[in-house]
Amino acid sequence: MDSLVTARNVTKRFGSFKAVDDVSFDVGKGRILGLIGPNGAGKTTLLKAILGLTDCDGSLSVLGLDPFKERKQLMQNISFIADVAVLPRWIRVSQLLKFMESVHPRFSRSRADELLASTDIKLTSKVRQLSKGMVTQLHLSIITAIDANLLVLDEPTIGLDIIFRKDFYANLLNDYFDGERTIIITTHQVEEIENLLTDVMFINRGKIVLDAPMDDIAENYVELLASTENAEKAQQFHPIHVKDVFGKKVLTFERTDRAELQGLGELRTPDIADLFVAKVKGAAA
Amino acid sequence: MIRTQLALLQRELWEHRALYVTPAVIALLASLATITGQATISVFNEAVDVAIIGGSNLGEAERSAAISALMMGIAVLIFMGMWILSIFYTLDSLYAERKDRSILFWRSLPCTDFETVLSKLLTTLIVIPLIAFVAIVITDIVILAIWSIWLMIKGGDAAHLIWSAAPLFDNWLATFIFLFSATLWGSPLIGWFLFVSGFSKRSPFLTAFLPLAILPMLEKIIFGTSTIGETIVSRAMPKPLFRDVDPSTYFSDDRISADQFVSVLDLFDLGGFLTSVELWLGMLVCGLFTTAAIYVRRYRDES
Repeated sequence: MDSLVTARNVTKRFGSFKAVDDVSFDVGKGRILGLIGPNGAGKTTLLKAILGLTDCDGSLSVLGLDPFKERKQLMQNISFIADVAVLPRWIRVSQLLKFMESVHPRFSRSRADELLASTDIKLTSKVRQLSKGMVTQLHLSIITAIDANLLVLDEPTIGLDIIFRKDFYANLLNDYFDGERTIIITTHQVEEIENLLTDVMFINRGKIVLDAPMDDIAENYVELLASTENAEKAQQFHPIHVKDVFGKKVLTFERTDRAELQGLGELRTPDIADLFVAKVKGAAA
Repeated sequence: MIRTQLALLQRELWEHRALYVTPAVIALLASLATITGQATISVFNEAVDVAIIGGSNLGEAERSAAISALMMGIAVLIFMGMWILSIFYTLDSLYAERKDRSILFWRSLPCTDFETVLSKLLTTLIVIPLIAFVAIVITDIVILAIWSIWLMIKGGDAAHLIWSAAPLFDNWLATFIFLFSATLWGSPLIGWFLFVSGFSKRSPFLTAFLPLAILPMLEKIIFGTSTIGETIVSRAMPKPLFRDVDPSTYFSDDRISADQFVSVLDLFDLGGFLTSVELWLGMLVCGLFTTAAIYVRRYRDES
């Protein structure tokens, strides 16, 4: 696997607090990785370290570069949204495009024009005249008009309505993602990107709780919906998490043979959000 | 590198339209004041004639000196506007992007913190004085043209009385030298403003000026001296650029009555200025503050 991002024992301290705590992982070429974690889990700090916006201990390499020391080179080959709606309010859309053309060697003006043509955004408008959704659209159009090896999206669709969110992810997959590029994405609306991801990483309190390809999830995790008695019986297989749903129990198992659970209730692959809760709460218990 | 820098400089002009609007407004007001002044003179005193206003009763050298004085007045007016503009621009330059959080966008582009901070410094050190220079030249031409029209209406020979007497190029060259000398001379203050703009959490204006006011006071109270205050104030005007003449009395009677043509350039001791230790110390201070501003932008977490 060609590794685009290689992290070994990456730690970021703020005083005595470790926002990212001894984290190691790889992100391969052509993967779409979902980075999932509660607020304050260290997701954004980790992304910042990857983007060279903050320095860290341990070894971190992105596209073979040291992100903090070789930031300019790195920025020429990746594109990212650190936060939505942070475009300068005074700038005109046409000025923004012109500026991007001048400073970014991989920015395609024609691609940006194409993307903007499908929106209501006018080139003569100033950012302050656009609605919040339009600002995000503009930002995403600019970012996806960069021919980058690595695209990093931190909560890209926050504040957008559902139609735009769906469109955005569909376009990301159909137009932008070509199997060569790599995307790292964080979002609270996990269910919306679940089908898009090739890999998923859970992060909690600065630690990686789970780092796996999506295919492995179905193989290694199973959710059992069972009556209270059957749930008692299923306890012997050491569920990582148990919750009550409408008088029944939902048990999540890790690396437990499905055949053993057969007959105790309804089996299914947990969705990412549920699995996340199971992993995080399970780890805390 | 150069392409990025030019784009960054253009960006500053897009964001801070005051950079060219302010000199334009001053120029316009000065021109309007000239027209108003002449109209008033014409209305209230028809007897005032070419001899006085056009200076046709003066000798060639005096008339040239009088026009130089007028042009210097215009230059000083725009220069003062430029200083105020430089202060406000520099204090805002690194603060605004943090206030509206657009720094997160700017830092997602392949521009280093060095390049970005440099573009703000160059805007103050080069772009603002250049704009001021252009504004001064245009205002000079416009106001002299207004005078010419007035003179011609009164039957005077403007070509002779004004245009052949006005030492335009000497004055403009002197203005150019003065603007850039003043900027370099004031650069430690500019560096300080840039640094404050980069680090202050709120109200960069107060953060920048409070120490400039308090330090001299403390010095006065504790040591009874006023070195700090004098040093700060002295940076507003590049005194070492001037020979041992006081520009405020330069056109006083004895000089005007001298028959000899005097160029404004003779006021300057450029060599002495460029080799003065204070100038280079000042630029060193500016460099240190700028470096500090770059480090703050690079290392501080903005989210």
